[in-house]
Amino acid sequence: EAVLGLYFSRDTYSEKLYIDEPVGTPLLYVHALQDARGEVPHFRLGQHLYSTYRSQPHKNDWFQINEDTGLLYLNQSLDQRALEKLSARNGGFPLLTIYLQVFLSPKPLRESDCHWPSCAKVMLSVINTTMPACSSLKPREFCFLETGLSFRIRENKPPGTFHQFRLLPVQHLCPNISISYQLLGEEALPFYSDKDTMEVNMRHSLDREEKEKYELIAKCTVWEGLREEVVMVPFPVTVYDEDDSPPNFPNGINTANAVVEYKRKEGTVLAVLQVFDADVVPSSVDIPRKYIHTMLTSDPLVNEFFRVEHSPNETSYNSNGSRVRAMMHDYKLVLNRSLPITESHSFQLGVLVNDTDYQGPGGVLHLYFNVTILPVSIRFPNISYSFSVNRNAHRYAQIGKVCIENCKEFHGVNITYKLQSLSVNCTALGIITTPESTTGNLFVNDTSMLQRPECTGMKYLVIASDRQSKKQSRTTSTISVEGNFFPEEEGCPISCAVNKRRSECEECGGLGTLMGTCQWRQGDGKGISKNYSTCTPSLKTCPDGNCDAVESRDLHICPQDCIRGDIIGGHERGEWRGIKAGYGVCNCFPEKKKCFCEPDDDKEPLCDEVCRMVI
Amino acid sequence: SLASPSSLQGSELHGWRPPVDCVRANELCAAESNCSSRYRTLRQCLAGRDRNTMLANKECQAALEVLQESPLYDCRCKRGMKKELQCLQIYWSIHLGLTEGEEFYEASPYEPITSRLSDIFRLASIFSGTGADPAMSAKSNHCLDAAKACNLNENCKRLRSAYISTCNREISNFERCNRRKCHKALRQFFDRVPSEYTYRMLFCSCRDQACAERRRQTILPSCSYEDKEKPNCLDLRNLCRGDHLCRSRLADFHANCRVSYQTTTSCPSDNYQACLGSYAGMIGFDMTPNYVDSNPTSIVVSPWCSCRGSGNMEEECEKFLKDFTENPCLRNAIQAFGNGTDVNVSP
Repeated sequence: EAVLGLYFSRDTYSEKLYIDEPVGTPLLYVHALQDARGEVPHFRLGQHLYSTYRSQPHKNDWFQINEDTGLLYLNQSLDQRALEKLSARNGGFPLLTIYLQVFLSPKPLRESDCHWPSCAKVMLSVINTTMPACSSLKPREFCFLETGLSFRIRENKPPGTFHQFRLLPVQHLCPNISISYQLLGEEALPFYSDKDTMEVNMRHSLDREEKEKYELIAKCTVWEGLREEVVMVPFPVTVYDEDDSPPNFPNGINTANAVVEYKRKEGTVLAVLQVFDADVVPSSVDIPRKYIHTMLTSDPLVNEFFRVEHSPNETSYNSNGSRVRAMMHDYKLVLNRSLPITESHSFQLGVLVNDTDYQGPGGVLHLYFNVTILPVSIRFPNISYSFSVNRNAHRYAQIGKVCIENCKEFHGVNITYKLQSLSVNCTALGIITTPESTTGNLFVNDTSMLQRPECTGMKYLVIASDRQSKKQSRTTSTISVEGNFFPEEEGCPISCAVNKRRSECEECGGLGTLMGTCQWRQGDGKGISKNYSTCTPSLKTCPDGNCDAVESRDLHICPQDCIRGDIIGGHERGEWRGIKAGYGVCNCFPEKKKCFCEPDDDKEPLCDEVCRMVI
Repeated sequence: SLASPSSLQGSELHGWRPPVDCVRANELCAAESNCSSRYRTLRQCLAGRDRNTMLANKECQAALEVLQESPLYDCRCKRGMKKELQCLQIYWSIHLGLTEGEEFYEASPYEPITSRLSDIFRLASIFSGTGADPAMSAKSNHCLDAAKACNLNENCKRLRSAYISTCNREISNFERCNRRKCHKALRQFFDRVPSEYTYRMLFCSCRDQACAERRRQTILPSCSYEDKEKPNCLDLRNLCRGDHLCRSRLADFHANCRVSYQTTTSCPSDNYQACLGSYAGMIGFDMTPNYVDSNPTSIVVSPWCSCRGSGNMEEECEKFLKDFTENPCLRNAIQAFGNGTDVNVSP
């Protein structure tokens, strides 16, 4: 958010606080950087002291800040009694940290509203002892705090002082320790540390699009008598972004072609155009409000059937060897509704993209989509289908598929298939449409017709029609009935899946069998496997993990693919229904809506809950 | 719920009385006309569309000031208590007025956890009969042992089977499972099964990848954790803060697992149990954390989010994410649990 005014170089400042430190002990400096030249900070402390976990605030009686320099100091010693008083308000948690708020604005609306850039928190780690003797402190403790350093600098703003290296309380207590600070490699950097004041300054203003992170190293040298010790810590500076780059087209491409033919379904992505923006503001939360696109059309058809989807993605580019983040905006032309097959149209759709935060010229771009909508026709290939069916086939035996031209490519078109018998009295077959693949499945509907001598050669008219446009296409299909009729074994179940053994499976028929007998699938016997042993009407369709349009007519046909009820034994369920994988042999009882998966030899115990679960 | 503490431990709790829970505090407030009318006023202030202007209102300010002196101000909730949600609603109705709702770390509405990991080890040794001797089981797969131990306990087995079957049930090609139901089943497991069982499964120590993969699979991450897209962590935090339970569990995690520079373990009050408890407390919410891979030794946990698209908030986002991914307190706590060690706390 582009708030005008001064800003703090950090959002959190830290220092240690010991018991009974004398009045006047300096604690730390806070720093404000300018948004515009000539601005002068006036630092002001919030009225309360907060603790981290349970923030029942206490009036600040101990700390003061120098309004001009930003120096925070003790104006009353914090003794054991005061600490106990503060601890009592900490809700049972030990008092480890207290914090103060420092404001830049003269009077905030609400004290609880402390947010960078105009407010910073000063965290004071409370140590329940008096200050240790200088001789007992380690070099590190003279140089840096454990909490680490990190700084925020806004791009394109006037340079200024943003850090003071010295740890004021230890320096105040141990004035005889000699310390110096240095930023490694600072000659080549936009920052420098002043040897005398130990402050860190900027040489010039920064540009995030050039470099957004400076991973510096701060070096501290401590001399105690003749001993010299060096401590080094990371000193990261993050450059904050403002919207100072206009959006543009990568490779200059502002036009995309889109053809609508077979894929006419709602949600189909027809074309994508990209817009690059070197800025990372607005951030992902604000982008929908601040990066606005508009379709430039008054055509109600275009508005009804098309929409533009915007998906922003963070990307990055290389700038002098360092990674700089940027944004890539994808604009997708998407079908808003399924288009009728008769629609034929060609137009150019303009889309206006506006980076509203960008102030200069060029914040608005035009995208163009050249759209061609082609009509498609419902047409059978110029052939007559011929299928054969075995005289012993059972009801729901699947004997073939019919399909209009390019049927696999159709999406979002509602095709249905119908049959009309051209041989009077021979209506043995039915057809069912599989909507996902736009095909028609021919199956045996009336087995009694198969045995009639007048029905040996049947002729059908197949009609495909589009529900929306009522367009139709017709073709013929001849069916020859083959083989000799064998009477059914006695005592066979209706469903092949009931059979548990190979012998009984292959002796019997069942719903869906093509030749009058069921087929056995021998599994691999490797634990819970997709290739389990089972008895099926046709290995081509069952079990294949898909309860197709014919199978879903009757659970007896292929319960292995279609069951929704209980599966007992070691197994894995299918996505919607059915058995995805099973242990040993799986057989089913459609009447009871139950399947069993268990090894065929009776020696192994049944797989219980534990083996079923993925433990 | 957690094993109840046998005694208060650690000197830091000296002189502190456990506060009343917010449901009880609400009853006390309702019995007093001044308190109840101010509470009603405050709730109206906070329910307003523009909360900030409503709270700047004098009447709202006055209500807040009066309530700060009432039992409602200091009330807390217990994890897994009856009416936990109601309790948290009462808690936040006051505390949302106090903080802006934008604080990086929020105070936890839960009572501090005073029990210690050693309590769990003691109980666990009764259950397993072997104790937590690391040398005895150096070769075995601890995560497998934990699953076996759970299956031998009726309650643990039942709730574990419940969440496994819920989280494993595929709905369609587009929807891997019913995430909402899976989260609910996971919450029930972690709320109702004693931590001797749940921690053993969640924080078991591993020497090989198979074991670590099992550990990663504990919460069935393909349903409860992973998603098609990784949201930005700060967006995810906002989503979590929109829900009282998620917000509370996150605040509790921050209170108990936040890195401390003043303790040897890096954990607040050197309390591993509290950190592990509040980590497990986030499973089954938008901020569900999990192991990011099946590396047996380097333990990295994270919620399902990244810092891409943070804009100028990248630093804040990284800081938020690092409380999970690079948190020495949490890492030490998980390792200590796996090794069967706890910090000795002097009474």
